[in-house]
Amino acid sequence: MEDKRSPQWSSENTDVNQDELILQQQRRIEREISESIALVGEKESLISLELEYAKDEVYLAKTKVLGQKYSYIRRTRPDGNCFFRAFSYAYLERLIDNKEEYEKFRELALKSKDNLVALGFPQFTVEDFHDTFMEVIDKVGGDSEASRLELHKLFNEQGYSDYVVVYLRLITSGQLQREADFYQHFIEGDRTISEFCHQEVEPMYKESDHIHIIAMSTALGTGVRVRYMDRGAGTEVTAHDFPEGALPTVHLLYRPGHYDILYP
Amino acid sequence: MAAMSPSKRRLQRELMSLVREPPPGVFVDGDEVGQNLTQWIVHMEGAKGTLYEGEQFQLQFKFSSKYPFDSPEVTFIGGNIPVHPHVYSNGHICLSILTDDWSPALSVQSVCLSIVSMLSSCKEKKRPPDNSFYVKTCNKNPKKTKWSYHDDSV
Repeated sequence: MEDKRSPQWSSENTDVNQDELILQQQRRIEREISESIALVGEKESLISLELEYAKDEVYLAKTKVLGQKYSYIRRTRPDGNCFFRAFSYAYLERLIDNKEEYEKFRELALKSKDNLVALGFPQFTVEDFHDTFMEVIDKVGGDSEASRLELHKLFNEQGYSDYVVVYLRLITSGQLQREADFYQHFIEGDRTISEFCHQEVEPMYKESDHIHIIAMSTALGTGVRVRYMDRGAGTEVTAHDFPEGALPTVHLLYRPGHYDILYP
Repeated sequence: MAAMSPSKRRLQRELMSLVREPPPGVFVDGDEVGQNLTQWIVHMEGAKGTLYEGEQFQLQFKFSSKYPFDSPEVTFIGGNIPVHPHVYSNGHICLSILTDDWSPALSVQSVCLSIVSMLSSCKEKKRPPDNSFYVKTCNKNPKKTKWSYHDDSV
């Protein structure tokens, strides 16, 4: 826990405090992003993606291929939490129409708190997030149409939306630590699993990689298909299923640094 | 009574738990924190058998309305700032969980425990090597410093 840090000075630093200027600018950019993009947007036709790439041949070709399998996209705010936010929205949306799976998931979510406390997470803070997580699940358990509206409303309220993100981050961290022997192989450098969790999983705004997705989907017992779209050769938009071989219940589009929701 | 904001509700719960079951060497006066939940003074004493045995310290916690998503601003204040390689003489503390590695699952209590352990593992009382430069140029708020690792030997 103890740290070996010290302020980082730029070589030309004289009297002006560079740090502060950089951080100010960073905060301004963050604010601009968050003001312009909803936490979770409306469902849009995939045509909107084609329009976005009208002048970009590589992406346009790939978007057209994507359009053979998917009809809609729902965008999320690019704030580093987008994987967790996109996944939880899409998964709950699916559960609204599938009561059997909803009940199973609710059971699993209920028990998850004790698992986390048993792993050594502080009961006090875990409880706080778990309560809100369950509240969100319960609020989308009724009539389909009303639940859909409620889901959209809750996920665009920072209080609820971020609490859901935090709780999923904790579940992911819990899974990584429980199966540390297995996941250790995927960690680069000489960090332990628990260091990795403290630095890359539990803090907000830290982006998600394969390891986060594998651990989270395994912990929740569900499958995620991610479509990867980048500048690579070819027109295919490669699909990866997490965990490997699982039937996907949620489809996400990945473009470097960001996840959105896809619908067939 | 008006409904409390989630951040106030969380602080209220944290305060109650810290007053009721404080970690060893840590003390919070509930009345002192009182109505102003956004700024706390936490009293801390150097653990027995460490270089700080018998010393008393005061930590100031400031919370924004985005707490627990934003980390608290934590500094040592008062007449006795611990002499430690990660504590600047103006009270700023170099500890990653206070900036980059902060998680909403952490709490005032876990911050206090980290600071106690940071002090307890100290082998030589001295200031950070760049203390005088930092103290002259930094912002009053330590969260405005862009901290980076530079010394693994301490």
